[in-house]
Amino acid sequence: MPYTAEAFQNEFLALGATEVNAIITVTSSGSEGGRRTAGATEIIIVDASGSMQAEGRISAARQAAKAAVECIDDGVNFAIIAGVSTAQQLFPAPGQLAVSSPQTRADAVRSIDRLQASGGTAMGAWLLLAAQLFAQRPGDIAHAILLTDGDNGERHGYLEQVLDSIAGRFTCDCRGVGVNWKVSELRKIATALLGTVDIVAQPSGLTAAFEQMMTKAMGKTSADVQLKVWTPVNASVRFVKQVEPEVMDLTGKRTEDGPRAGRYPLGSWGAESRDYHVCIDVPAGAAGDEMLAARVSVVEGDTVHAQSLVRAVWTEDTVLSAKINRQVAHYTGQAELADAIQAGIEARKAGDDRTATIKFGRAAQLAHASGNKATEELLATVVDIEDAATGTVRLRRKVEAADEMALDTRSTKTVRVGRSQ
Amino acid sequence: MTMTDCASCADERAAGAAFCEACGRALGAPCPNCGIPGGVGEDGYCQNCGMLAGRPRDHIDIDCGEVAAAVTDRGRRHHRNEDAMWLAVRGGDVDVVVSDGVSASFDPDVASETAAGTAGALLAESPDVSAAILGAKRAVAELASTGDPRRATSNPACTIVVATVRGAEINIGWVGDSRAYWLPPEGPAEQLTEDDSWATHAIAMGADPIAAMQDPKAHAITAWLGADASPVLPRTGAFTVVGAGHLVLCSDGLWNYLPDPESFASTVRAHLHAGGTLISAARSLVEFANAAGGADNITVALIPVSSPAPAPDSSPATDSAPATDSAVDSAPATADEPVKE
Repeated sequence: MPYTAEAFQNEFLALGATEVNAIITVTSSGSEGGRRTAGATEIIIVDASGSMQAEGRISAARQAAKAAVECIDDGVNFAIIAGVSTAQQLFPAPGQLAVSSPQTRADAVRSIDRLQASGGTAMGAWLLLAAQLFAQRPGDIAHAILLTDGDNGERHGYLEQVLDSIAGRFTCDCRGVGVNWKVSELRKIATALLGTVDIVAQPSGLTAAFEQMMTKAMGKTSADVQLKVWTPVNASVRFVKQVEPEVMDLTGKRTEDGPRAGRYPLGSWGAESRDYHVCIDVPAGAAGDEMLAARVSVVEGDTVHAQSLVRAVWTEDTVLSAKINRQVAHYTGQAELADAIQAGIEARKAGDDRTATIKFGRAAQLAHASGNKATEELLATVVDIEDAATGTVRLRRKVEAADEMALDTRSTKTVRVGRSQ
Repeated sequence: MTMTDCASCADERAAGAAFCEACGRALGAPCPNCGIPGGVGEDGYCQNCGMLAGRPRDHIDIDCGEVAAAVTDRGRRHHRNEDAMWLAVRGGDVDVVVSDGVSASFDPDVASETAAGTAGALLAESPDVSAAILGAKRAVAELASTGDPRRATSNPACTIVVATVRGAEINIGWVGDSRAYWLPPEGPAEQLTEDDSWATHAIAMGADPIAAMQDPKAHAITAWLGADASPVLPRTGAFTVVGAGHLVLCSDGLWNYLPDPESFASTVRAHLHAGGTLISAARSLVEFANAAGGADNITVALIPVSSPAPAPDSSPATDSAPATDSAVDSAPATADEPVKE
């Protein structure tokens, strides 16, 4: 069995306590010796709106798309979509998928040369076309890369409507080039489609970003892995969050699965490890009671890959119940860190410097205490950190837009702590 | 709570059936907590309310007829039984061990089970109580580097009290606050062990006994078995019984409710004289502790011992009166010694 699921928690609760927290570490060594258990389909969506002509973005995007195509394994299905006011399929013929081979990849690279920047931005339409193409290959590991440089031009609410209809059909990593796109918009897509979002400030960085995304996608061996959470009667799931490698709230993505159980989508998996924070509300027990608060399984269809138990034990011994599990404390802090940064950025945009200073100060403190150096360095581009330990910061008068967007997109990135308690 | 649904699939036709009509799953035992038929799943938790149905160690009786009896019980307030015991009878020879896991350590139930099992197995080879305790100490210390990695930061730990009975000869040894008593036919019980506890040492150093026993640290133990224990010097005693009486070993789950030798003697004697068997007396002593609150795990072992030629004096003649520590006793502890709660 390539998957393991391990629970980290302090199962001891004080009398009257009703909240059970656990970190579940799911690790896969990659199924079937690293071979895919399903077929795979890759779709590259490149923004070809008029603004892409600026700063040599379109030529950099062509280079990046070509590099990504070269990373596609033989036998994988693929297509390229040119994003303008409508979605246009650049390769292969409209409505079709190509099967990757040296020949088809060379054909694709030639067709990318025809990519011209002119027109608008219609992300809903682009994603809808991708979903239609993916629908030809049900059961495949379905992954898309979306590149844009601007705001969505579709009518208000259309993108959300599309996302509702296609959620769960494929995963999508989103990249914004330059600084004229909205982090919130791409985050909405990435969150709905279980992908990542990041800024590529300079067009010259696109090739590396595309290669990295495609290489990672090629490492996926399972298409649709889910976390199944069973809870006893009168108990309820307060939240299920991915907390490593980055924070992603999965609570709202639950689908019911039999009595007292629900499934949360984890997307596609390769040889990797991720952490999930599960929080359960249970009825209070008496001293000495032991309850199974949740049975957490890693499932793919009807196959249970691994299972872990989240327990609740009520005790009068406050020495036992007062200990907060180190993993739970750490990831609670990492989730708060992401929230503090996003709240700080919003307050700063709204001109509320006082709130922004408080939020960024708290973020600096959390990043420093948890050893999240990458986030601490990003924070330092937006505020002057005078004393990270106490959270004393000063807002910078002049902040590069790219720096603030990098802080925003990467605020959800977390670090791990040692495994011992 | 309806009594008519399958815990697995919520079908309502399962009442009284051995299998659920809808999902076909075998219906196991009803859940002792919520009563749902077939509620208890393979992992021991109810598939409806999630409560643990019980563990084999929650209550264990060992009935050796008229020779010896021992009972261990989870009590009322702890979620599992972290006490363990060993009772072996060969003809009239008896080996008995009681061990109590330190709750603040990780896997204390494994510590006590390891200690009792190791010491008991060693006693079967040689009736040397010191060697048995030292063997148990090594086995418990090794637990810190095996199994769950969390054991390394809070290593499994436990107490131990060991006794061998060979005819009228009794040997005891202990570390921690699990006790052995001699119960004569009348009069107060004689505590054969001296707790390795903060209160005992504070009193020995001149503290007011009542104040010391009320101190929050009173029950913290000053010696234990475990990887973090100071070098263990088992304290031992050897006695020859004159007359007849009962050797009683127990964990603090019982003696906490019978702190003075008079009440201990009268209560144990009342249960022994209730007219039942030895095992029924041990069981009813456990029930007594549970009725009093059952705040801790409870273990009690009862072994009748008599001299071949009964004499008028029924108290045990000790090799070194009074019947407390022998020559290998460890040095008296200081008040600021490390303790375990």
